[in-house]
Amino acid sequence: MAIADDYDERALIEAAQADPARFVDLYERHFHRVYAYVIRRAGNRAEAEDITSEVFERALTHLPRFEWRGVPLVAWLFRIAANALADRRQQIDRNSADPPAEVPDASESAAIERRAIVFQLVDRLPDLQRQVIAMRFVDGRSIREIAAALERSEGAVKQLQLRALENLRKSLEGRHG
Amino acid sequence: MADALIERLDQTIDLILSGRDATAALADGELAPLAVLAAELRSCPSPAFKARLRANLERRTTMSIVLEKAKIREGFTTVTPYVHVRESGLVDFLTTVFGAVETSVTKTPGGVHREVRVGDSMLMIGESGTEGGLAFSPATFHVYVPDVDAAFERAIGAGGKSMEAPADRPYGERLGFVEDAFGNRWYIATHLGPSPVPQGLRTVTPFVHPRGVPSYIDFLTRAFGAVEEFRHDVQGVVMHARIRIGDGAIEMGDTQGRMEPEKTAFYLYVADCDALYAQAVSAGATPLSPPAEQWYGERVGAVQDAMGITWYIAKPA
Repeated sequence: MAIADDYDERALIEAAQADPARFVDLYERHFHRVYAYVIRRAGNRAEAEDITSEVFERALTHLPRFEWRGVPLVAWLFRIAANALADRRQQIDRNSADPPAEVPDASESAAIERRAIVFQLVDRLPDLQRQVIAMRFVDGRSIREIAAALERSEGAVKQLQLRALENLRKSLEGRHG
Repeated sequence: MADALIERLDQTIDLILSGRDATAALADGELAPLAVLAAELRSCPSPAFKARLRANLERRTTMSIVLEKAKIREGFTTVTPYVHVRESGLVDFLTTVFGAVETSVTKTPGGVHREVRVGDSMLMIGESGTEGGLAFSPATFHVYVPDVDAAFERAIGAGGKSMEAPADRPYGERLGFVEDAFGNRWYIATHLGPSPVPQGLRTVTPFVHPRGVPSYIDFLTRAFGAVEEFRHDVQGVVMHARIRIGDGAIEMGDTQGRMEPEKTAFYLYVADCDALYAQAVSAGATPLSPPAEQWYGERVGAVQDAMGITWYIAKPA
C-alpha cells in the first residue's frame, strides 16, 4: 500500500472525529505500520503489544484535537508511539542512558513501510497458509506441532510454509513491479 | 529441486527463529528472498492481538457514542471522584496543599455538596454531617504537582500523616504518600519527564484497590465500557493498571489483602444514563436507585459494584 492518499486520509479522520465508531477504519489502515515501527524499538513482543495498544488508545482519546495540516496521520501516530516508548523506558530505568525513541527518518520509514506491507499481505494469504505463518512465526511452534494442530503431515505443512513465503514474495514483487 | 528448497527453507527458518546465524541463505539465489521475508516475519503481529485490540477500540467507541456526545459541564470529564466525609475541612486541606479552588457549594437535603477544582481536575465532596447517612470510606488519589517535596511538606503542615516521604521511584516519578486527617490517601507525584504531568493524564487521577484487578477491569469494561490502558503485574498480582471511561481515567492496584478496597464513589456524566444504568446492572452491579430527574436538573441513577464503590450515572442538565 502506498502512503495513504491525502483525500482518503482526511475524509477518514474527519469521519472518525464526527463519529468515534469510525475510528476502526483508521486502525485498520495504520495498525501494521504502527506495529512495524514499535516492534523495531520494543524489547519483545509483549512490550510491542502494550505500546501499540497504548498508541491507538491515546490516538482515539486525542483524535478530536487532531488538526489536519497535510501531515499524514501515521506521522502523528509515530510521535505518540515514540512518547509511549520513552515513557516505558523511563518507567523501567529512569537512569537509562538509552537515547529517547525517535520518530523514523525517511530511510527507516521506507523499511517500516515494507515491513507493514509484508504484515498486511500475510492477512491476505489463503487460510491454511496464514495459519501456518502465524503458528510458526508468531507462536514459534515447530513443524511437528503445527502438523499435529492442523491434522496434516509435516511434509504438507512445510509445503504450505514454502507456498506462503512464495506468495508473499510474488505479491511484494507485484507491488514494486 | 522443489523438495530441496522446502527443506532448505525450513532449516533456514529454524535458524532464524532460534536466533542463530542464517546469513548463509543469502548466498543461495533461490532461497535468499524467502529467507529475507522469513526474517521479517519474526516480528509479525499476532492476529489474535490485532483482533483483540480492535474489539477493545470498538467497545470503547460504541460506548463513546453514549458518553462523549454528552454536554458535560465545563471543567468536568466523564468520571469525577466523589468523596464522602462527615465533617467539613477537606476543602481547606486541598486548598493548602494543592491550591484547590472551591467552585460551588450547595446545601442539600442530606448535607452539603461541594465541587472543587484541583489543577485541571474536578472533585465532588459530599459532607453529610455527623448525623448523616452516608458511610465514610477513604478514597485514594494520584495527584501530579510541579514540586512534590513542597506539596508534601504543605500536606504534613495541614495535618496529613506521612506514609512515605517523597523519593524518586523506578517508574519515572518522584512520589510521596500522605494520609489526610479524614483517612484519604494522596499519592503526590512529580513526573520525571518533560512535564510534571505525564502525557494524557490530568492533575488528579483517582486510585482504587480492588480485590482481583483483572476481574474488576472486566466488570468495568462490561458495565461502563471502560478501556484498559495498561496493566503491570508481578507474578500474577496487578501492581498498577489504568483504565479509562470516556475521557476520565482511574488507576488501580490489587489490595493484596493489605487494605480494604476504598468504598468510594464516582460520578459519571453520560448522554444516556438510562442505557448505561441498564448496562451496569446487567454486568452485575447492584441497583441503588434507578435514573430519575433530580431537583438540581440532572437525571441520575446509582449502582454499587462488588467492591462497594458507588457509581452515580448522570445526564447533565
